[in-house]
Amino acid sequence: MKTNLHIVLFSAALFTQISLFAQTAPPSAPPNRPSPAIDFSGYWSPAVNEDGLERGAGSEIGDYAGFAINEAGRLWALSYDPSRLTLKHHQCDGYVAPYQMRAVGNFRFWEDRDPHTMQLVAIHIWAQTTEGFRTIWMDGRPHPPAWAPHTYQGFSTGRFVGNALVVNTTHLKQGWLRRNGLPESDQATMVEFIVRHGDHLVDTTVVTDPVFLTEPEVRSDDFFRQPADHGAWLYACDDGEEIIGRPPDVVPNYPLGQQPFAKEYSKKYKIPLLSGIAGAPSIYPEFTTRLKTATDAEAEALLRPAPGPSPVSQAVDPEPHDGEIHVWPISGHVYMLVGDGGNIVVETGDDGPFVVDTGSGQLSGKVIEAIRKLSDKPVQFIVNTSFLPDRTGGNVKLRASGQDPSLVGSFFSMQFRDAGVNATIIAQQNVETRMVEQKLPEPGWPMDTFLNDRRRKYHNGNAIEIFHEPNAITDGDSIVHFRQDDVIVAGDIFNTTQFPFIDIKDGGSVQGEINALNEILNRTVFQHEGQGGTMIVPGHGYLADEHEVVEYRDMMVIIRDRVRAMIRGGATLDQVKAARVTADYDTRYGANTGPWTTDMFVAAVYNSLKQAAK
Amino acid sequence: MFIRSRSTFLLLWIVGAAAVASAQFGPPPGPPPPPRAAAPVDLTGYWVSLVTEDWRSRMTVPPKGDAESVPLNPEGRKAAMAWDPEKDQSSGEQCRAYGAGGIVRRPGRIHITWQDDNTLRAEFDAGTQTRTFYFGSPQGKGADWQGISVASWDVPGTIMTRGSFGLGNPGGPERGGALKVVTTKMKAGYLRKNGIPYSENAVITEYYDRFDIPNGDSLLLVTTEVNDPMYLSAPFWTSTHFKKQNDSAGWNPSACSAK
Repeated sequence: MKTNLHIVLFSAALFTQISLFAQTAPPSAPPNRPSPAIDFSGYWSPAVNEDGLERGAGSEIGDYAGFAINEAGRLWALSYDPSRLTLKHHQCDGYVAPYQMRAVGNFRFWEDRDPHTMQLVAIHIWAQTTEGFRTIWMDGRPHPPAWAPHTYQGFSTGRFVGNALVVNTTHLKQGWLRRNGLPESDQATMVEFIVRHGDHLVDTTVVTDPVFLTEPEVRSDDFFRQPADHGAWLYACDDGEEIIGRPPDVVPNYPLGQQPFAKEYSKKYKIPLLSGIAGAPSIYPEFTTRLKTATDAEAEALLRPAPGPSPVSQAVDPEPHDGEIHVWPISGHVYMLVGDGGNIVVETGDDGPFVVDTGSGQLSGKVIEAIRKLSDKPVQFIVNTSFLPDRTGGNVKLRASGQDPSLVGSFFSMQFRDAGVNATIIAQQNVETRMVEQKLPEPGWPMDTFLNDRRRKYHNGNAIEIFHEPNAITDGDSIVHFRQDDVIVAGDIFNTTQFPFIDIKDGGSVQGEINALNEILNRTVFQHEGQGGTMIVPGHGYLADEHEVVEYRDMMVIIRDRVRAMIRGGATLDQVKAARVTADYDTRYGANTGPWTTDMFVAAVYNSLKQAAK
Repeated sequence: MFIRSRSTFLLLWIVGAAAVASAQFGPPPGPPPPPRAAAPVDLTGYWVSLVTEDWRSRMTVPPKGDAESVPLNPEGRKAAMAWDPEKDQSSGEQCRAYGAGGIVRRPGRIHITWQDDNTLRAEFDAGTQTRTFYFGSPQGKGADWQGISVASWDVPGTIMTRGSFGLGNPGGPERGGALKVVTTKMKAGYLRKNGIPYSENAVITEYYDRFDIPNGDSLLLVTTEVNDPMYLSAPFWTSTHFKKQNDSAGWNPSACSAK
C-alpha cells in the first residue's frame, strides 16, 4: 500500500513537472547547443529525381547551365579532357563535399557524443561513393588556420539554427562542381542547411568560390530514410596502369578555344550554345527570354579567353603576416614553421633539430625560439632547397644557433664540418655557387655540398633523402624526403600561392619544373581516395598532399602545351601574352603587380621553351 | 522541519512545485495564437527562382518523352508520349504545367503574403497563378489547377525540458520550422512542360524552409513530394530554390503557355 502511494505521488510529481514545461515556450538554445529534436542518425539513400544524368552517367561537356561560373571556370571546364582520369594520380580522386552530397550511393549519419555529458561532439557522414567521410564538429572548435591541409571533405563545423543544421565547411580541395570537368577550387567554402521532414532529409549546399564562381551556387539534395543498413557499400580505390608507356609529362587537355565537343550539348538538345556557358545569367528566369535571341556567334566568343587584361588571384593569402612564427605539426616529429616569408621544416629528436630552409630571415630570432620550444638541442643540420632568398634568408642566424660548446674540441668535431661550432648547411653544389656569385653573406653559404642526384642521411630515426631536381626553379633545387614520417619538402618547386617562379637566368626551366613535380609524385603514396599519406610542404602556402601537386603539375603541363603550340606556329611573346594562355588559372594564381606577375611567368615559359627548341 | 516519510516529502514537493508554477507562469494559457502570429518563419515577400538544377527541363521545353529522373510508370510514360502542346494550347489547357504539381518549378517569381491570419497566399508570375494555403478548414472545392491546399507549421518536436527528474535537456531547440502544405483535388497537370503527367488523384506534400546565407541573402527552399499511383512508380521528390528580393523587381505576370 505504501509502495502504491509512492508510485501515485511520484507520477503526480512527474505530471506536474511535465505540465509546467508544457505551458512554457522552450528556452532559446545558446549557439552550438544541440537541439534534441533533430536527429539525422541512420541510413539514408539519395532520391535522384533531379539532374539524373549529371549524377548518373555524367553531363555532356559544355553543359554548365545553372552555374554561376566566371571565365576561368568556363575555360577550365572547356579545356578538360575526361581522359585525364586515366592518369595514375587522378584515378582515385575523391569527391569534394558539395559534390559528395550529390553523389548516388548510400549514406550513413551518426552522432558522436561525450560519454559522460552526452553533449554532441560531432556528426559524421559516410558516403558510399568514393568512401567520403565527413565530420561536422559540433563542439564549437575553431576552423584551422590558412596553412592547414585541405581535404576533399574539408573542415566542417555545425550548429542548429531553427529547424536546420547549419554547417560551415572550409579547407576543401580542388574538385568538381559537376563531373564533366566543371571545377570547384580549393578556395571554395560551403554553407549547408540540413533539414529533416519526417523520413525526408534535404541538404541545401551553398558554395562560394571566388576563383571559379561569380555568385554562390545553391543546390539541394534529397534523401529518404532507410529502415536499416542497406548493405551496399564500396571499398577503397587503388590506382592502376591504364595506359602503358605514356610519358609522365602528358596531361590530356584541349587547347583553349579548341574543345571539339563544346557544341555537342546544344546540338543534341537543340538549344542555343549560350545555354550551357552563360554563367550566372542562366540561373535567373529572365534567361528564358534571352535564349530566344541568342546566337551561336555571340556564344562562340565565350569558348576562348576574352581579350584584355588578366584577372588576378582571388585566393586567400595563407601567410599570417602577424610577425609571429606558427608551428604546424605534420607527422611524427616533423613540423612546418610558417610566418617568415617561406615555409621552414624542422625535424626533432635525440640527434637534434634537422631544418629544411630558413625563410626570409626577417624573423629568424623567432624561428630559433620556435625551434627551441620543439627541442632543447642546438640545430644540427640545415638543408637549403635552393639558393633563393626565401629559402636561405635565415641561414646565418640559424647556422649560428647550432653552436654546441659541449662538442667543440671533442672527437665528434671531426665527424662533420662545423660540429659544435655551427649547424651544418647542406645543399646541392649550385646553391653555393649561386650564393657566392651573388655575394650573399658568406656565413650563410652551404659548406657541405653534393653533386650527385641523391644525398642521404639518417637523423633522429628518420631516413632522409635529398634529391637534386635539375633546372626546375633554378639549377640547384632539391627536394627533401623524410621517409619514416613520409614528408616531402618541395621548396619553391611547388607552392599554393602563385605560378612557379621559374628563374631562367639561374638555370630554371619549364620542363625541369614539370620533371621535378613528377619526381615528387613518384615518391608519394596516398592514404585513401587520392588524399593524405605523403604530405608535401610547399615553399609557400598550405601543407599539401599529392593532390595539390598533381593539380599544379597539370597546370604546368597544360600551359606548356599551349605556349609550345603557339611557338611552333610562329607566335611572338607578345602574341602569346595576348592569347591569355593562363586564363583558366589567373583567378587562382595570377598577379599584375609584385615580384612575380602573370606576364613574367608567361615570359619565363615562352623563353624557356624557345631555349629548349634551339 | 523534520520530514517523517518519503510520502510526506513528495506531497510537499508537489504542492511547492505547483505554487512555484503558479507564481512563475501566471494564469493558465489562453487559446493558441492564430497561425500568422505563431509562424516560426517569415516566408512573406518576393522570391526569385534560382534555376540551378534540372536546368534543361525547366528553362527549355524538353522533347516529348524526355522524363529524365522522373519515376514514371508505364501509364505515365504512355501519357507523356501523348503530349500535344498544340492541342493543349487550342483547347484551353495551356496551364497544365502551371498547376500545383509543376508551378514551383517554372522559372519566375513568387509573391507570398498573408491573406488573413489563417491563410497564406502565394502568387506566381509564371502563368499568373495563385495558390492559397489554408491553416484549418480549407475553402473551395478544388477541381482547378491549384487544388486545395491545407497548411500547417512543421516545427521540430519538443522534448520535456529542464528539471524533470533529469529527463530534459537544458537547451532545447531554437524557434524555427517550416511551412507544410498538402495539396489535393487539383486538375490533372504536368510536372514538366513537356507533358510529364500527374493525375487529379495525386497528393502533393510541400515544405517551405527559409535559410539565411552569409552574404546576406535569404533562400526559400521548397521541398516537394508528389505521390501519384496513377502515373508514378515512386514518390517524385524535388527541392526548388528561390532568393529573397527586397522589392517586386522583375515581377512579370505572364500567361500560361503550352509551348
